[in-house]
Amino acid sequence: MGLLISILTPLLLLPSVSLAPPLSLRTDVDPSSTSSPIDPSEKPSSTTSLEDESELEVRRPTAEKVKRATLPAAHTPAKHGDTSGESWIAQRTMVEDYCGWGWVKKDKESWRQARWVALEGTPRTCPLPHTFLPRPVDDKNYQYRFFGTLAPYRAYEPQADMWVDVFILKGFMSLGPAKEEIRRPPPAQASSGVNRYADRAPNLLRP
Amino acid sequence: MDRSFWLGPLLLLLFALSAQASEVILISGGPAVRSFEKFKSNSHDKYWGNFIDSALQRVKDLQKEGKNKDKVVWLVFRPSYLSRGREDGQDYLKILEERGALVGAQPIYFDNKNQLLLLLRRDGSIEKPKISRLEYFGHSNKKCWMFDYSNRIDGGALEPLVLHVDDLSQISSSSFTPDAECISYGCHSGEEFSQRWRMIVGRPMIGAVGKTDYSDGGMPKITEGKGGTWVY
Repeated sequence: MGLLISILTPLLLLPSVSLAPPLSLRTDVDPSSTSSPIDPSEKPSSTTSLEDESELEVRRPTAEKVKRATLPAAHTPAKHGDTSGESWIAQRTMVEDYCGWGWVKKDKESWRQARWVALEGTPRTCPLPHTFLPRPVDDKNYQYRFFGTLAPYRAYEPQADMWVDVFILKGFMSLGPAKEEIRRPPPAQASSGVNRYADRAPNLLRP
Repeated sequence: MDRSFWLGPLLLLLFALSAQASEVILISGGPAVRSFEKFKSNSHDKYWGNFIDSALQRVKDLQKEGKNKDKVVWLVFRPSYLSRGREDGQDYLKILEERGALVGAQPIYFDNKNQLLLLLRRDGSIEKPKISRLEYFGHSNKKCWMFDYSNRIDGGALEPLVLHVDDLSQISSSSFTPDAECISYGCHSGEEFSQRWRMIVGRPMIGAVGKTDYSDGGMPKITEGKGGTWVY
């Protein structure tokens, strides 16, 4: 029995020791000296240098940060045009052979409630963000805060025969790369009714 | 005084009026801007004047044929030439007016669909003679004439700047002479637009099945090797 207790006791105590919160760091400073008033001429204490190190850790370039900084979209201005008034969150999304700029939503809305829009710049106030970049695709999956309004008219999407909303851009702020791509397809319902004339074969012109 | 004295000149005047009472309408849509198009694999409108040169070539052809003595009215969609001109640093309106003057055609500008519909509204009077021929040069798909394609919106067109098949009911068949001929030189018009035009406007329209190619200058051709053809 005594043998069993001597074996089980260390086994029961070991996890409680290993899961215990870490002990506070020891400092080389003499506890008695902490009560003395701080001389302003003294060099910064060891705690300040620790903060510096943590800040260095934050500022240290990681692969992700290097990738973000070298993205062409990093060249878009942080802020451009008239950035006052109502704003929307926008994410650049490119769909092959489909007219439009991407998705926009209000701050409190989810991306599921976002609208697919074609983007129209305001002459002499705010061009489209990608015009600051080498290629229009360079800000793909980049987020912006857009300032402007939805136009009273729509845009025609010729591939899908669709009408899409138009956002008139007055200003924007860059928000950086989006966390993830929006994979929701843009609207694809035909604008006009079923083509009852399509059944009629066109009359070929004889040369 | 003898009534027959007045009858002769009156008949001559009526004949002259009826002979002059129709017009040929040529419509030029606008080019895309290069900032939207230059990186696309299927890039449109490298040359700004595709729809201008083809329409003016048609004016020359009609003059050569000499069959149709009706006045040629050349309608040009202005906003696209202004924006493409700003991009290229050129005054394209001035250039196209000069080119038109060489063949005796003066452009009449329209800025949106409603203005075009107004210009196509005819009653056969001296001010608004009926249309004996209508031809369109510009961007289109099977359902729509797009005067403004990829100019203000990348890869699309704004609603007030297109003529969709759903808008055709706003064009009256009474604006055309009974034997009027209509042709659309835009892409894919023969796949649906032509049939809808015939059903709604009441005149047959020749259109392309497949794409049309303006790249050789002059009159557009059906893009080769893709099985396209002209239909009505």
